Amino acid sequence: MEKEEQDRNMHILRTGVLSPVKRWSAKWSLWPCHFVTSCCGVELAHAFASGFDGERLGTLNMGISRQANFIIVEGTITRKMARALRIVWEQMPDPKFVNVIGACGQRGGIFWNSYNITRPSEIVPVDFFIPGCPVTPESLLRGVRAVQDKIALGKDETTIKFKKVALPSEVGPGSTIPTSPKRFAPTPLVKVDIPREVDWAFGSTTVNNLKSQLEGLYKSITITDKNRIAIKTAPDNLMEVARKLSDNMGIDHTKSVNVIDVPHEQKFILEYMASSYSNSDLMPVIITLFTDIERKAEPEFPSITPLWDSADYSEREMHDFFGVKYEGNAGMNAKFLLAPETQTPLRKDFKIAEENYVFDDSPLNPKIDLPSSLEMPAPTDLYDEAEASDEFIILVGPHHTGSGHLRWILRVKGDIIVDVTPDPGYVHRSMEKIAENRLYIQNVPLFERANISDPFNMNLGYVHAIEKALSIEVPERAKYIRTMLAELSRIGAFFYDSGIFSLFTGHSTGFMYVWAIREMILEATVRMTGSRCTPSFIIPGGVRRDISKDVLEMTGNFTSAVNKRLKKFEDIFINNPVFIARTKGVGVVTKQEAIKYGLVGPFLRASGVDYDIRKVEPYEVYDQLNWEVTTGDAGDCLGRYMGRYEEIKQSLSLLKQTVDALKRMPRGDVISEEVLGDYKEASEDIKGHLYHAYGNLVLPKGEWTSVVESARGTLLYSIISDGDSNVPHRVRIVTPCWMNLRGIVEASKGERVADFWTIYGSFGYFPPEADR
Amino acid sequence: MQEVINELLETMMSNQVSVPVIQPVIDMAAQIPMMGLGISFILWTPIFALLICPGLSTLGIFLLFFPWIERKLCARIQWRVGPREIVPWLGGLIQLLADTLRFLFQEVIVHKDAHRPYFLQFAFLSFAAALLPLLFINAGDVIAIASPYGIQLLLALVCLFPLFILGLGWASNSRFAFIGSVREAFMYFAYEIPFIIAVLAMVILFGTSNPILIPDKWGIILNPIAAFTFFVGAAMATSRMPFEIPEADQEVAAGPHVEYSGIAFGLIYVMCYEKAYILSTLMVVLFLGGGSGPDIPGLTVHLGDLMGIVWFLLKVIIVMTTMFVLRTIYPRYRLDQGLTIGWGAMIAISLVALAWSIVFVFMQQGGVL
Amino acid sequence: MKKVTVQDQGVVEKAKCHAAAIGVAMKESVYPLTATVQYPRQRKKMPDNFRGYILFDPDKCINCWECAFVCPANAIRMKEAPNKKYYPTIDYGKCIFCHFCIDSCTDGALRTTKIHDVAYKDMDEMVTLTEEMIEPPEIVREDTKLVEYLIDDKDLQMKKTREVDNLFVDEVPPSVEIPVVSQCIDGASCIGCHVCEYVCGSGAISSSIANGVMNMAIDTDMCTGCGLCVKECTMQILKLVRK
Repeated sequence: MEKEEQDRNMHILRTGVLSPVKRWSAKWSLWPCHFVTSCCGVELAHAFASGFDGERLGTLNMGISRQANFIIVEGTITRKMARALRIVWEQMPDPKFVNVIGACGQRGGIFWNSYNITRPSEIVPVDFFIPGCPVTPESLLRGVRAVQDKIALGKDETTIKFKKVALPSEVGPGSTIPTSPKRFAPTPLVKVDIPREVDWAFGSTTVNNLKSQLEGLYKSITITDKNRIAIKTAPDNLMEVARKLSDNMGIDHTKSVNVIDVPHEQKFILEYMASSYSNSDLMPVIITLFTDIERKAEPEFPSITPLWDSADYSEREMHDFFGVKYEGNAGMNAKFLLAPETQTPLRKDFKIAEENYVFDDSPLNPKIDLPSSLEMPAPTDLYDEAEASDEFIILVGPHHTGSGHLRWILRVKGDIIVDVTPDPGYVHRSMEKIAENRLYIQNVPLFERANISDPFNMNLGYVHAIEKALSIEVPERAKYIRTMLAELSRIGAFFYDSGIFSLFTGHSTGFMYVWAIREMILEATVRMTGSRCTPSFIIPGGVRRDISKDVLEMTGNFTSAVNKRLKKFEDIFINNPVFIARTKGVGVVTKQEAIKYGLVGPFLRASGVDYDIRKVEPYEVYDQLNWEVTTGDAGDCLGRYMGRYEEIKQSLSLLKQTVDALKRMPRGDVISEEVLGDYKEASEDIKGHLYHAYGNLVLPKGEWTSVVESARGTLLYSIISDGDSNVPHRVRIVTPCWMNLRGIVEASKGERVADFWTIYGSFGYFPPEADR
Repeated sequence: MQEVINELLETMMSNQVSVPVIQPVIDMAAQIPMMGLGISFILWTPIFALLICPGLSTLGIFLLFFPWIERKLCARIQWRVGPREIVPWLGGLIQLLADTLRFLFQEVIVHKDAHRPYFLQFAFLSFAAALLPLLFINAGDVIAIASPYGIQLLLALVCLFPLFILGLGWASNSRFAFIGSVREAFMYFAYEIPFIIAVLAMVILFGTSNPILIPDKWGIILNPIAAFTFFVGAAMATSRMPFEIPEADQEVAAGPHVEYSGIAFGLIYVMCYEKAYILSTLMVVLFLGGGSGPDIPGLTVHLGDLMGIVWFLLKVIIVMTTMFVLRTIYPRYRLDQGLTIGWGAMIAISLVALAWSIVFVFMQQGGVL
Repeated sequence: MKKVTVQDQGVVEKAKCHAAAIGVAMKESVYPLTATVQYPRQRKKMPDNFRGYILFDPDKCINCWECAFVCPANAIRMKEAPNKKYYPTIDYGKCIFCHFCIDSCTDGALRTTKIHDVAYKDMDEMVTLTEEMIEPPEIVREDTKLVEYLIDDKDLQMKKTREVDNLFVDEVPPSVEIPVVSQCIDGASCIGCHVCEYVCGSGAISSSIANGVMNMAIDTDMCTGCGLCVKECTMQILKLVRK
């Protein structure tokens, strides 16, 4: 059927007296429908921004499906998004064309065994597939050229030709096929509170303090690592303990909600990771409150949201993943992240496909069940309810110029927003599940894909958790390199968000200007690592290889070269009175609200909370560099943006400082010899020894939690290892955007409809990062 | 029969567009019986104005090439290149031709919720209606209908545009189209009054509302406040940044146009350029001295009426470009901010402009100026 | 701690800011800081370490399977060649270009190219067999100019030269060679399951029975140090040691 559909489009162009005119015009007027489905959208934006300017080819990005004739499917199509893709495609007038970019949209890429992805080629007819993860702008434009050639010349061909060479035929001894490198412990010992001896005086006083306060309520209180305390309680006491922590110690928000499945013991471990924004002594401390409950189909547990509202969305997420019903949470009667028909996928008995290391006759494209219905369910009861109260429902997204890849349900009365309901999960690619089935080193590129606009910080957080577990000290030079990369990535992410923000306020020039600056950042990244957006450069113990002097020179130059272009951006966008009128006093989040909803990062600081992980719990070389945390009082869109802008100026200075330090330092070790073991000669460049050194990495048993300050805020990784398997038992990632989602919702209430996009833009929301 | 033709010919000959440099050619062609009639018909001022300039042909060329100018210039400001590969050596000049033809051959979808007859009608009607004001505008000395109420008629017709946009939105029967139409309606009331007052100020200042009789003075110097009000009002009327509120792409997905495809969208797409063209011509007539321009020795004599047209079009291009380049400079205002500006600052400024004109006229009559 | 506050703009300030914004637009329309690489007619210069399509040299391959094992996307699968060895195939419909395979390849049998701009008509064609990975492939190219981004301390410069970039880089051998061989560290624990012998592709492991006792021997000269036996050993008594 799909072949027919595809042929129909070409048939329209090939027939009729005016066929040459039709083909000529269609060739030069391929308007891609702005269908950002996943992280390849970042590179799509680069392809159409000043760096490559796809408009040269006559391809003008158009937000509206009715007027476009070309879809560039950008990466993953999840089960939820599949419907949107089909609907958008059907909305488009004939003749129309489809390109799929990125490995996710082909055979799944790194998410090939995810439970939540589909194959676009089974949903719509596809003309060309472009490999890459993400694709480069050049390859995207190559795809456009290929479609153009197909239309004009009827040349429907792959643009690469391989030459076949006969393989050596001298028959050797032959061998059997080795088994999988993965090793799963059959009955893993899953414990969250493995005590560890650490030099942490404040810890023991805190524990004593906790013991006296929680007398009779706890089962055990353990120091699991520096700044990490685990409190075990009985299920009935957890709420009471939390209340005590909140009242007596100022523990005011949760950083993570977690469930760990232990099938052979027939239990779930329920975890809340809580910390404090108001008590500066306890800021770096993460208290893990956990309890065991019985593992059954739908276990019930009282929700903690009355006390800590910040746990709300994470509890809903756990409900999706494990079927744990948090009583008292409003979202328990529907799926939040997942498509409605999905089972509880993070339970251990939900299996995903295993790797096949041998090229055999197994089908290249194993069947993926499509969602049963491609209809998009409209919330009909919501319509009725709204109509009764004289309100109007606007559905924004998942395909909308100003939505990104999630759906917002706006309830408006006149021009005032009454309520916003987010419907995330359109890019949920099940990283947490996949991570349980991969080697530790294979998860480095995986987690980076959560946010390719801020890849180094994504890397860094995960690697930190591993290093914490193994107690590895990273060489000095690697620390500086990592700091440099993290700041470069922070600057890149800020410019990414500025671009999106300026688009959301209708300012395309602002977008183009910062995207040109981003092009410089990516140039530096590609020279350092070989990849534009997905470097996977930071590995446990250090970085993959040292960085050469001329690239360092270039990166240092960037810090001053950016000023010229930044000045223009400032004049035309940041100081533009219209922009200021749009953002000042809009979407205010007060300090109390920010703490209550558990906002993170620059958006928390904009509301006046002085909390930056880089200062609170310094990592790498942040404590040796000269910089300041930026905060603000306004808590409005402009405050959030300007706070970040100021922070980026600090980041530029940090970048300069680290580059200068690196230039002074002699070239040397960049990977810790502890982790390399027998291969310690490779400490300058891992080339040739990556698998030897990391293939069989096993973490000591326990839970290892790391937090880093990524571009958009606190990024938390929590790895649970059983000490025996060389794959993690569970990895919990809490990304800043996921925590900030609530902020967008709360800030929008009571504002005008058009303000929704300024608020959305000011929060720098990156859906793939939130959905993971 | 012959008499009727002769009489007609006489009427036409009495009011011909004079272009001295091609006069010999015309004279030669006039020898050929039917050809002569044809040529004098086309050169008959009202028909020339309607068909050639400032009417259909000029408009057509504008629609075909102006978006290219806009896209190229915006791209340049945005550190890009803009359309190019279609004909690299001309800088992609015919990009819009490809786009137009593509729309022409693309399927027109009428979705099932739409009001089918109106959905299609309004797309074509709005395009046609936008042409009407061209009857009352003059390029230099060339005008289709010279009426003492020319400016008023023109304004009345210009005020028709929003009605059609409302119609588009209503017939689309989509949520975004609905919000877009409501926004358009709001904005319509906000800009209309100051816009009309600004024109009124100029009519008072010139003492006539017949465009052809408006002296070749630069209104922008005589009453800069009115010029500013008019320009901002025109930007609002054509939904230019920072007032691109009804069609905000990121907010209401192009508002009233959201459901249109194929040639129906093509017509709506060019309609906004049409609107901009008409308002720019009005701006040129009222504020930039119409078709007047410095004497270029050797050229003015030969070109005759055409010289006025050339000056006129040059000015129109400048005004339109300025209007469109705004998109690269400004983000967009919110609806309520747009309304506040329209009902507040704009009305105040327009009243000042009106007062300015009245004082100016009094002073002129009193012999002070 | 640095506090950011934004002051209200006064009328004069506003007018200045309007003028500045308009000024930028006017200036850029005359002297734009264009940063466009006009692909496909121009091509941006990529560094030699660019992570693109992968080439393979069967002569250097020691059949260690590590590229397949480390591939996070399972894009690399091993295919049996006529010589009974297993060589990698790459599925570009899965490959994420992380080049963990290249960094794992002990003897530099895999190497990168600067090819990345490719469009496939069909998903099945994206599977690249070993035979196709040996010679450099041909791609459709239209570029006549090479653009290099240079960042000096003032601005981004685009250096354009009229040349066609060579997309194939010279082979970079691993930075350090660490020759290793397999060694049995606890022969007494051997249960004689022969797994190591069967999995060894170089024939370095042999077994003999003397006096009813199984004796396994590893020929250090023949051992390539691929480590498969170490991985497979049931009793975990094999170890890679320095040669």
